[in-house]
Amino acid sequence: MEEVKNNSGQNLGIAALITAILTFVLAVIPCVGLIAVIPGIITIVLGSVAISQANRNNSPHGVALAGLIIGIIAIMIAFSQIFVARKIAHKADKWPKQFENIMNDVQDNVVKDLEDANVSIKVENNGDTIRIVTSPDKRNKEQTLEDLEKGNNSAHDTVKVKK
Amino acid sequence: MTPLKLKSSIAQIKLRNEPYLVINIVLAGVILLILAYSGIFSPEKNNYPIVCIHEKITGEPCVSCGLSHSFSLILRGKVAEAYQWNRYGMRVFLFFAGQFLLRIIFSLLYTKYPVTRKQLILFDIVGSSLIFLIAFMPFIAAIIKGL
Repeated sequence: MEEVKNNSGQNLGIAALITAILTFVLAVIPCVGLIAVIPGIITIVLGSVAISQANRNNSPHGVALAGLIIGIIAIMIAFSQIFVARKIAHKADKWPKQFENIMNDVQDNVVKDLEDANVSIKVENNGDTIRIVTSPDKRNKEQTLEDLEKGNNSAHDTVKVKK
Repeated sequence: MTPLKLKSSIAQIKLRNEPYLVINIVLAGVILLILAYSGIFSPEKNNYPIVCIHEKITGEPCVSCGLSHSFSLILRGKVAEAYQWNRYGMRVFLFFAGQFLLRIIFSLLYTKYPVTRKQLILFDIVGSSLIFLIAFMPFIAAIIKGL
């Protein structure tokens, strides 16, 4: 009867060591590292039970202890994968911000180019022609716009009104 | 020792009293399952049940992405294509294949030379740990870098 108890403790120890080795291999593979937490917990439970049984029966518990230690290290590596994933996710979150910054820079450059550019707009419709020309200076453009709004545009008006 | 005597000595050993042999047999079985997984699921159909959790969470591929594809392609003899899926696939595959052979060899040596069992186990632990570190170093480095 005593021998059976010893064997059952040893069997649990072997099971703990095997699970620990598999957990360790799983834990270091980033793709499935997080899954290793589950067998890691099983390993710790098996190892703990095996050690307690071995202590109760005064039988050797080296295998179970080895399983428990490897299992704890493996579960720590598996948990570290969470931090690694969090860091990668944090880096990934920066992407939209970087993209937004690039878009803002492009927009600013385009606006600046337009401010400095000579803009000429010409509209033709049934022989009628409307032509708006702006100078590079932003102030001049604003002045032209004000003049157009006030109707003070005779100097530059190219519209020919049909009588 | 003749093969017949070796067979009889293996038969005499009770597995229950030999944890080392049990561990070797189970690990060899697990490696066979991994190889069977790579053989059953094909890269053409892309029907692998295990997906990368890292990629699911972060949206970014990790250093071990494409390992299943790589294993399957190595088993099918398409080594160059396997390197394209995961450049570390070959060394990890060699680790598993090597460990499968080592489990068989060490088990036979364990039963054949009972006097040097302790030395054999110690040699196995140290050797296998070193091979593991060499094979999985890129993954370990990625974890350390990510911390």
